[in-house]
Amino acid sequence: MITIVSGLPRSGTSLMMQMLQAGGMTVLCDEKRPADEHNPRGYLELQKVRSLEKDNSWMPDAEGKVVKVVSLLLYHLPAGFEYRVIFMRRDLDEILRSQERMLEGLNQPGGPMRETMKQHFAKHLDSLAEWVTRQPHVKIIDCPYADLVVSPDSTARTVVDFLGVDLDIEKMIETVDPALYRQRNER
Amino acid sequence: MFEPKIKIGKDLYATLKKAADVAGYSSVDEFILHILETAAAEVEQAQSEEEVRKRLQGLGYIE
Repeated sequence: MITIVSGLPRSGTSLMMQMLQAGGMTVLCDEKRPADEHNPRGYLELQKVRSLEKDNSWMPDAEGKVVKVVSLLLYHLPAGFEYRVIFMRRDLDEILRSQERMLEGLNQPGGPMRETMKQHFAKHLDSLAEWVTRQPHVKIIDCPYADLVVSPDSTARTVVDFLGVDLDIEKMIETVDPALYRQRNER
Repeated sequence: MFEPKIKIGKDLYATLKKAADVAGYSSVDEFILHILETAAAEVEQAQSEEEVRKRLQGLGYIE
């Protein structure tokens, strides 16, 4: 079984990776993308994932481990493996604000207006959710970021149950720092 | 209320009528509307995915 942490960028995927690592899972990642102001504790990413569409030959290395795969690349998970996907969900306005800030820092163009981009993301997520239901080798659980920050104990237990592995839940909980919940919507 | 209409050739209409009958549509209009709605949704979906792709590339998540 391969564990995948997925979602849109800035949806909390790095935090979930940190939790799983703290709990005792082996993370498949490299040091190509170092920690920065947007992610002070690191991204825990594997650079090879970025080219998953063209090269998935490394996938056997992920067996029994956890690897981060951004939402759009889930379509390219190769057959022949069993996947458990923890899909991070976060308010799209929060995601977009955080992404825009990150794009500025990277000197990248902002792209469409926020509302337009929000619609594109919503369509993408709907389409992906429908696609997943037709993938017998993919089991997925939605993990709301807001719930994770507010009740990390509940989220940790849900994730451990979903994965069916023995992880140190206390250490997973200790990883969550509510101070890192930035770009939060006023409720 | 204004109802836009689209002209199509007789031969194409005949082909579509046959196809609509075979597929079990109640009318050619219903069949054509379904085809057009499906095609438009596919184009919109492709456009959305392309914008998502560009955004993820900009953020460094895909090549």
